[in-house]
Amino acid sequence: MKNTSVRKRGLIFIAIGWALLLIGDRVDELALSQGALVATYALAIASIILLTGYSGQLSLGHSALMAVGAYAAALSTNNLGLSPAIALVVAAFVAGLFGLILGFGVARLSGPYLAGTTLALAVSLPTIANQFAILGGEQGVAFDIGLPPARFGEEFSQYKWFFWICALAALLMIWLISNILASRYGRIFRALRDNPVAASLSGINVGRLKVVAFSLSAGVAGLAGGLLVMLISGVSPSAFPLSLSFSLLTGAVVTGVYNLKGVMLGGLILVAIPEIAESVVSRIGGSEGFTVALPGFLVSALLILAVVFTPNGPGHLLHKKKH
Amino acid sequence: MIRNTRMKRISFVSTVVVAGAMLLSTVPANAADPGVTATEIKLGITSPKTGTVALSYGKLPGAMKAYFDYINANGGVNGRKITLVSRDDKYLPQQAATQTRNLVLSDKVFAIVGALGTATHTKAYVAAQLAKNNVPDLFVNTGFSGFDDKTKYPTTFLVLPSYAMEAKIIAKLIADTPTLKPMPSFLIAQDDEFGKDGVKGFALAGHKFSDTPILYPAGSLTAALAEGALAKINAAVPAAAKPVMVLMGTTDSTALILKAAEKLSLTSRFTWIAGSVGGDANTLLALGVKPATIDGAYAASFFPDAKDTTDEYVAQFMKINEKYNKGVTFDNVVLQAMNSAMLTVQALRAAGKNLTRAGLMKAIEDKGSTFASAGLAPLNYSATSRVGYNGYWFGQLNAKGELKPVGGKVTLYTTDSATATAPVLSTYTRKPLPKNGIPTN
Repeated sequence: MKNTSVRKRGLIFIAIGWALLLIGDRVDELALSQGALVATYALAIASIILLTGYSGQLSLGHSALMAVGAYAAALSTNNLGLSPAIALVVAAFVAGLFGLILGFGVARLSGPYLAGTTLALAVSLPTIANQFAILGGEQGVAFDIGLPPARFGEEFSQYKWFFWICALAALLMIWLISNILASRYGRIFRALRDNPVAASLSGINVGRLKVVAFSLSAGVAGLAGGLLVMLISGVSPSAFPLSLSFSLLTGAVVTGVYNLKGVMLGGLILVAIPEIAESVVSRIGGSEGFTVALPGFLVSALLILAVVFTPNGPGHLLHKKKH
Repeated sequence: MIRNTRMKRISFVSTVVVAGAMLLSTVPANAADPGVTATEIKLGITSPKTGTVALSYGKLPGAMKAYFDYINANGGVNGRKITLVSRDDKYLPQQAATQTRNLVLSDKVFAIVGALGTATHTKAYVAAQLAKNNVPDLFVNTGFSGFDDKTKYPTTFLVLPSYAMEAKIIAKLIADTPTLKPMPSFLIAQDDEFGKDGVKGFALAGHKFSDTPILYPAGSLTAALAEGALAKINAAVPAAAKPVMVLMGTTDSTALILKAAEKLSLTSRFTWIAGSVGGDANTLLALGVKPATIDGAYAASFFPDAKDTTDEYVAQFMKINEKYNKGVTFDNVVLQAMNSAMLTVQALRAAGKNLTRAGLMKAIEDKGSTFASAGLAPLNYSATSRVGYNGYWFGQLNAKGELKPVGGKVTLYTTDSATATAPVLSTYTRKPLPKNGIPTN
């Protein structure tokens, strides 16, 4: 039974991957570029859902964990000469390790205290980054993965290459996370979230498992950070502002923080909102102030609507209607 | 008979195809370049319109658009109207990359003009593949000398003198001014290419500060950090001395440091030297710095003073600002924006009616150094140089925010970003303003 559901999940992910591959050949460069960003954000949102939705820990500074992965990827390419593919694995590994160490430090914290600690980390990121010359100060470090392999032909654009990498990485990681969440660990994480005391009484080492969840989430966030800076060819502290953490958390809440199925929708919303806002303004006209304020307004409105009408995400709502 | 007819048909179709192909091959190459039609040239700009930096530079796209609107109202460029698409990058690299890419792929602009920020634009340039798509990247609003690297940024043209040039000329000012030379000197600068370029310039000039330069993260300078830095220097220097304090950063950071000095009652403790970016008096005053604080501070510029209504460029740009940019105060940012817009119009004119991206860049290389501009320093465009202005003059601000030249007369020095060669006194005379500020080159 268990093997059947793992196989079924695997087939679904292969089908999605195949569909994305076909779509990638039929859309323009703008859509490919946006698709790469959607996949990256989806992955980052998945890391928050894993941490907050499943293990009940709240992080307000996930952008800092993404930055750790991003710097690890850039430095391992520039200083160690690793290939970009390995560098992205290193990004996930180093961020996961960082999450593990941080997790041990904050294992006793929960709720607002954990949120405050991660928030402090994100706030202090620029200052920390500027303490180490190797991180390149405010200008940061380049992360150039180079041109797509020549065997794909001259027509194969850089944007398509980015899309392939981001989509593949996101699919693989989300598949892995969904398998973890469907396993014994997923049930333990949910137990930690719903009733830590009961979980402890049933023999679960709450502190250790919380650290494991934090480390896993940090690893996924680190990979997302590596992908994000790959898209802009370089990492610097300002590439990971505090607002990114809040945007990702918003994306997770809007798509259902207890449900991994909506992550692509979350990524899509984060990428699409500014575009929708600009298109609305260009249609109905309006001042420059209106143009700049509209994306924030739309995100806020969406967040309120989601909390009021679909607190568990649209996916959960559909699931309820079906049954 | 049938075969004959078919052959005739085939021959006819072949002839039409070949003739069509020949005709198409004679269509000007600009048919392939996006952003240009018979009636429109679409340009794009990314700059911070929201966030803290927007307080200083938010006026940039509006002022450029105002000048383009003025040109459009006077017939446009070779019959084409200029449309400026402006996108907000919030001074964040990721946002700048996304918005620049949107300008190229979604808005399909012909060229990028006046993009602002070093950390933002270096990443946006690569992410939006401006080099690969051969998108002209004109008159970038940063003094990062690295943009002069034609191999790395083959489509970029600088306009501001580099921060390294500025530092070399500040070092000369200190060395040449008897009241400044014997005093201990300190540098507080942004920890990005801005500050690093500056540090490099001081090193090239052989200037040694009394302590290691204090570098702060761009956009993250806090009042506490500024107060701490000033208090430390104040404590280290004997009370009898009046140290020289050089500030190399954006206007909002400079304002923060000056306000920290006000809080600590240290404004008269130092002789302040602000770079051309941070020394924008009107913006400093608008950001809440007291007039008495800036009174007497040294500031660098390559433009005439933005309050000098006797300057023909300033006067003309002020008129345009009043009519096409209503309610916006005229200051250095507006002056810089309109000047870049005027350079853009001249570049578009120089490229001719058959407008192509390659033709536009070639036109700037060939004729850019002869364009009329408000700058008091020469433009240095050529086949091998993407450097815009290369010099500065120094003045002292008064409480009204006016920049008055040291010694009563503008003395401009020119230099480079890469060598230890000392700055030289410039004999350059700028071209007169085209009639009504409308280029006719």
